[in-house]
Amino acid sequence: MIFAVILITGVAGAGIYVMKLRSDNAILKANQIKLETAVAEQTKVLEQQKEDFTAILESNKKLNVLINTFKKDLQDLDKRFTKKNRDIGKLAIERTESIERIINGGSKNAARCIELASGAEHTEAELKATLKSEINPECPSLANPNYVHYE
Amino acid sequence: MKMSHYGTYWVSFFKGVILVLLILALTGCSIGGEKKIKLFQIEQPREKLDYPMPTALQLEELKWIIITSENADEVFAKLEAAGIDPVLFGITDKDFQVLARNFAQIRQKLQETNNLLEEYKKYYEDTGNSQ
Repeated sequence: MIFAVILITGVAGAGIYVMKLRSDNAILKANQIKLETAVAEQTKVLEQQKEDFTAILESNKKLNVLINTFKKDLQDLDKRFTKKNRDIGKLAIERTESIERIINGGSKNAARCIELASGAEHTEAELKATLKSEINPECPSLANPNYVHYE
Repeated sequence: MKMSHYGTYWVSFFKGVILVLLILALTGCSIGGEKKIKLFQIEQPREKLDYPMPTALQLEELKWIIITSENADEVFAKLEAAGIDPVLFGITDKDFQVLARNFAQIRQKLQETNNLLEEYKKYYEDTGNSQ
């Protein structure tokens, strides 16, 4: 009788233990799936972050190039007024008509630069310009993207 | 009183029917339990702010007149002949340079702002960083 009780208890205990093991196994499997999903999501987030950083760096680089171009354009403008101790006032007295023509041409070019800066489309001539005589000297980097500066 | 076998059968039958009706009345025909409510989330992407880019400027042409002590009379005479009021708003050669620089700076700021706008648009729309 005692032997039978021990046997039944043993079998029941073993059964419960196996059930527990199966339950643990199921929990561990679920945990594993969750971990794998989390790792995949983290990898995706990291990849997205990497892409974002690259995009930000590229954008910063572009804007820095643009700001440097601005500085150069302003220096070029100053140079045009003061090159070789040029005095635009004296020149205007000596050669009034030609300076008037130059000033009006420059004003027209400057107005075109503002139009382009506000988002106007380039004309075919502006895009094709590669020579100094063809470009808009007020803002060549903006008006003539195919022009390469030369002395 | 002893019931017949047939009578016992019917009494049992009615008891069963009453029990079933009682259970139905108590459970309100909801045997099998309430259906579980399922909560789920759908990610709704943010609406795009689809403003068109600002319209490009179209500037009108203006004419500069250079007036010196020598050509002043001639210039005013020409203006009068053309039916234009003989008056000019003048700036010195130095101020002309300042004006040119100021316009260049305004243009650059415009270009910079437009560029920034494009970069923002590209970043938030092309890469899907819409949050």
